[in-house]
Amino acid sequence: MTTAAFGNAAAEAPRDRPTPPPLLRVRDLAVTHEGEDAATPASVTFEVAPGEVVLVLGPSGSGKSTLALTLNGLISHAVPAVVSGLIEVDGLDAATTPVATLARHVGMVFQDPDAQLITGTLRDDVAFGPENLLLPVDEVLARTERALRQVGLWERRDENPDRLSGGGKQRLAIASALAMGSDLLVLDEPTANLDPAGIDDVYDALRTVVADGRSILLVEHNLDAAVQLTDRVVVLDADGRTVAVGGVDAVLRDRAEELHDLGVWLPVSTMAALSLQRAGWSFERMPLTPLELREALEAAAAPAGWAPRDSVPRAGGTGASGVDGAENAAFSLRSAQFPHETTAAPVIDVRGLTLQRGRRPVLHDVALQVGAGEFVAVVGANGAGKTSLVQAIAGVIPPPRGTVSVGGADPARTALRDLSRRIGFVFQNPEHQFISHTVFDELAHGLRGRGLPTDEVWARTMAMLERFGLAGKADVHPFLLSGGQKRRLSVGTALIGGAPILALDEPTFGQDRARADELLRLLRELNAAGTTVLVVTHDMQLVAEYARRTIVVGDGRIVADAATADVFADEALLRAQGLRLPPLRAALSGVTRHPRFATVTALSELAGADA
Amino acid sequence: MARTLSTRVLLVCAAIGVATGILGGIAGLLTPVVLVAAPFAYGLVLGSHVLPGIIAQQVFRLPLVALTTHLLAALVATAANPAWIGRFIGTALLFGAIQEGIAALTRYRAWGAWRFLLSGAIVGVVVAVVVFFVADLATLPPWAQITYLAISVLGPVAWTAAGLAVGEQLRRAGVARRV
Amino acid sequence: MTAVVDPYAAAAPSRRLLVGLSPLAKLAGPVPAMLVLVFTRDIATPLVFVGLAYLLLLVGAPLTRKVGLLLGLALPAGALVVGLGLSLWVDPMRVDGTATLLTIGGWTLHLGALEIGLATGVRVAAILALGLIAGLTTTGAELVRASVQQLRVPYRIGYTALAAFRFVPRFAYELEVIRQAHRVRGAHGGRGPFAAIARWWGYVVPLLAGAIRHAERVALAMDSRAFGAHPTRTERTVVPWRRRDTVFVAVCWVASAGILVALFPWTP
Ligand SMILES: Nc1ncnc2c1ncn2[C@@H]1O[C@H](COP(=O)(O)OP(=O)(O)OP(=O)(O)O)[C@@H](O)[C@H]1O
Ligand SMILES: Nc1ncnc2c1ncn2[C@@H]1O[C@H](COP(=O)(O)OP(=O)(O)OP(=O)(O)O)[C@@H](O)[C@H]1O
Ligand SMILES: [Mg+2]
Ligand SMILES: [Mg+2]
Repeated sequence: MTTAAFGNAAAEAPRDRPTPPPLLRVRDLAVTHEGEDAATPASVTFEVAPGEVVLVLGPSGSGKSTLALTLNGLISHAVPAVVSGLIEVDGLDAATTPVATLARHVGMVFQDPDAQLITGTLRDDVAFGPENLLLPVDEVLARTERALRQVGLWERRDENPDRLSGGGKQRLAIASALAMGSDLLVLDEPTANLDPAGIDDVYDALRTVVADGRSILLVEHNLDAAVQLTDRVVVLDADGRTVAVGGVDAVLRDRAEELHDLGVWLPVSTMAALSLQRAGWSFERMPLTPLELREALEAAAAPAGWAPRDSVPRAGGTGASGVDGAENAAFSLRSAQFPHETTAAPVIDVRGLTLQRGRRPVLHDVALQVGAGEFVAVVGANGAGKTSLVQAIAGVIPPPRGTVSVGGADPARTALRDLSRRIGFVFQNPEHQFISHTVFDELAHGLRGRGLPTDEVWARTMAMLERFGLAGKADVHPFLLSGGQKRRLSVGTALIGGAPILALDEPTFGQDRARADELLRLLRELNAAGTTVLVVTHDMQLVAEYARRTIVVGDGRIVADAATADVFADEALLRAQGLRLPPLRAALSGVTRHPRFATVTALSELAGADA
Repeated sequence: MARTLSTRVLLVCAAIGVATGILGGIAGLLTPVVLVAAPFAYGLVLGSHVLPGIIAQQVFRLPLVALTTHLLAALVATAANPAWIGRFIGTALLFGAIQEGIAALTRYRAWGAWRFLLSGAIVGVVVAVVVFFVADLATLPPWAQITYLAISVLGPVAWTAAGLAVGEQLRRAGVARRV
Repeated sequence: MTAVVDPYAAAAPSRRLLVGLSPLAKLAGPVPAMLVLVFTRDIATPLVFVGLAYLLLLVGAPLTRKVGLLLGLALPAGALVVGLGLSLWVDPMRVDGTATLLTIGGWTLHLGALEIGLATGVRVAAILALGLIAGLTTTGAELVRASVQQLRVPYRIGYTALAAFRFVPRFAYELEVIRQAHRVRGAHGGRGPFAAIARWWGYVVPLLAGAIRHAERVALAMDSRAFGAHPTRTERTVVPWRRRDTVFVAVCWVASAGILVALFPWTP
């Protein structure tokens, strides 16, 4: 995300060119899924010209994915739904043209990288589409080679795609779509499941697609990456009606406030500028990228008496660095900076934890203490050992005896059932954890197991349902809840046993930012009420917003452990671990005119200190 | 043949085949134990192979899904463990054909539980006969032969009932709602 | 589900006899013998077939450690265990004329029982060994391609299977996570077979639900790449049926018939 900050000049210059006939024309499109009463999207109208990159924005559930699937006819040919309105691709009517024909004109890339792999090698996978089109072998091979070279994967053509990283798999999916020969590429949240390095990977590939003169329709929540590439923006409201269509300047810059109120995600730099505006700052031009925000801040004068609000309490020293000598790196940023928290006996105490999975060592002599009431984020590259670490703490995988203590108990010697009263563990996919047929039973299970009287079980369960906004859903099957509700329920099940510590493994994986934010707000409330929270995540901005302390895990060791702001002060350390600065940090780090921004990492700090 | 089945149906059938295969694979580890400790109870283990077809029919209620699911499960199982290629494909075709045949006899209109259980019983009889000869069970004492026959038929029937229950649960969980 | 193999891996280039044959030939050749073996009762016939199968495999299959273990250890041990196990259950009335081998309390193991048991063990081993001729020399992808190209199995089924190879490790991992998650929730603790059944029952719906959703997403990805657009598709890898395949099948059938006639295992 930060590298892209410097390569955006071309995308920002408005493109002057004569208007050719549009590649895609969508008029008054409405889609009603089978079994639903209302149409989402309700009415969408826009066009995509050849060579254009169009970004579709809208709140969750506004029908963006549905729109994407109608463009190549999957709705209603493969997914039952009633479609009204007009879609024309290259002059073909999508309602009547078979999917197989439309597939030559519209290439699709979906969210889940693993769900788009079909055959055994990269080359076979890209060739799969052209083969289905019955093209001659020479043509298939030529297209395959061109597409693989374009996304930079030709060298790895004979490998099994399983061995690619998440970003690599998405690049492969882009190559597969390109090989169909389509001039329009439709991508539905292609980076939602990726770590920061993977996101960079995908956008590098997309840039070459644009340079090739093809059009892109992009549905994306992560605007920091997308905005660099975008020519035009289409905004849908909650029902899926187009509320804005236009150039980046006309929509994102001029109507930022309005879009924000709609619940649409904006680039972090823009959200920061909006916060600052509310606090009295004024900018000539709404910034969209970290670079622009930095320039805007250099040009603007601070309102009198403004200072960042210290919403994330942090103690003392700031100029810390995590990598001075490999040996003591883990201890250079020790929690000595939390004197008020570690004087009390730590609720989690890990010493000399070395762990093997299978025959592989995955954790090496890890030591860490967490005090009661802390909010700690655990970050690191894929495979670094984050999951193993929190699972060992929660006893999900048994740690060696005497290495871990949780609330005074050793997970290696305590029955899981008793342990779950001390620490609640929330798995990545909430559905994995559900064991009952109704939401009520799901929550009550933890209480019944302890032999509490029925009415107390009832009262406590109802209280928990109320608290998590699930009271109306007590009799519903847990699988029928929405994604966000499932996540809340899984947190509830971990909490209801009264566990004072909560550990969550990538709770925001695959969720949009709105749900991610909702969940983290919930965690912050719980934390404020005294619950100790431990979160594994890849989302650096979320870490910056919510966690007071951040632990960086690299290759089975703790590479840094310090106040979040201090960890993010060291970009070299983050990059070495395959991580990136949160976009806000990237923007503010170079601001020289207002030194007060030097330590700001969270949007909430920008609202200005309470007067 | 496959024209009638959409890609989605095909892949869901494959997924059902693989998922039940993985559950069954763990049960399959019991096979040698059962063979030694109580050979006449082998039908109980073998009966678990009816599951993919039953669940697929419960989820989709369409022609050909049972046979397709068994075939796909066998192809995938073969890829994972090629040594048992013959066993996988043989069982798949046998079980799939019987389940499909019973459904076809009612022209894919009757989907009552009795229909599924009947196919379970027939599978049981056929399997009982084959295993009877392979394992030369005629040499067992009469009581063991009778037990064997009863268990061989009851095994698939019981597993069929379990498959029906799974299908019912999937419906309740909203997974199998849309066809 | 014991072996973890890359089901897509191209067969290592090998000049060994069996590797060069069509998977279908390797399946069709031994099948008649396997079917007839079901109805044999002696020891000699299955022993001869075990010998033949081993000979073919040793000469024609790429010999890896795994193959060595399977042929040298697992299969003979399995046959022995099945044989001994079954001989314990043989009806004593049938064999009480034969020599006594062992007496424990009131129970006697007769030589006849052991013979019947071992015959069954060898028979099972023979059927399995004949199956290994194809099993040890064929990859999943080859089998799929051969079925599509020669048996006219619809290619949509074949390629669905190819895509579904990836389901195996994915779902196995999911099952592992579901088990962990349920353990943490304290679901159905307790020992004994009934608690175990209740536990496993709880895994079924989450596993299948996740599996079905994943399959639906894969289906969308395949459809968007024009899967099934035409009755056929371009095949870049042709799996031919050659003269040597026909010869192999013919030789197998003739040899099987010859052995069966020579040993004629059904004379009383
Ligand atoms: N297959 C389906 N059957 C029935 N309803 C569906 C189906 N897919 C989506 N919907 C419904 O259609 C509406 C729009 O969903 P869609 O996934 O298109 O939204 P979205 O804008 O992509 O949301 P998100 O930002 O969360 O991805 C939602 O109310 C959803 O519940
Ligand atoms: N069950 C297992 N058996 C053997 N090795 C495992 C197992 N689970 C994980 N590993 C290995 O342990 C290492 C650490 O894995 P872990 O899941 O803890 O990493 P992570 O930091 O959570 O990664 P991610 O960001 O991908 O979730 C990895 O190299 C992984 O391959
Ligand atoms: Mg969507
Ligand atoms: Mg992890």
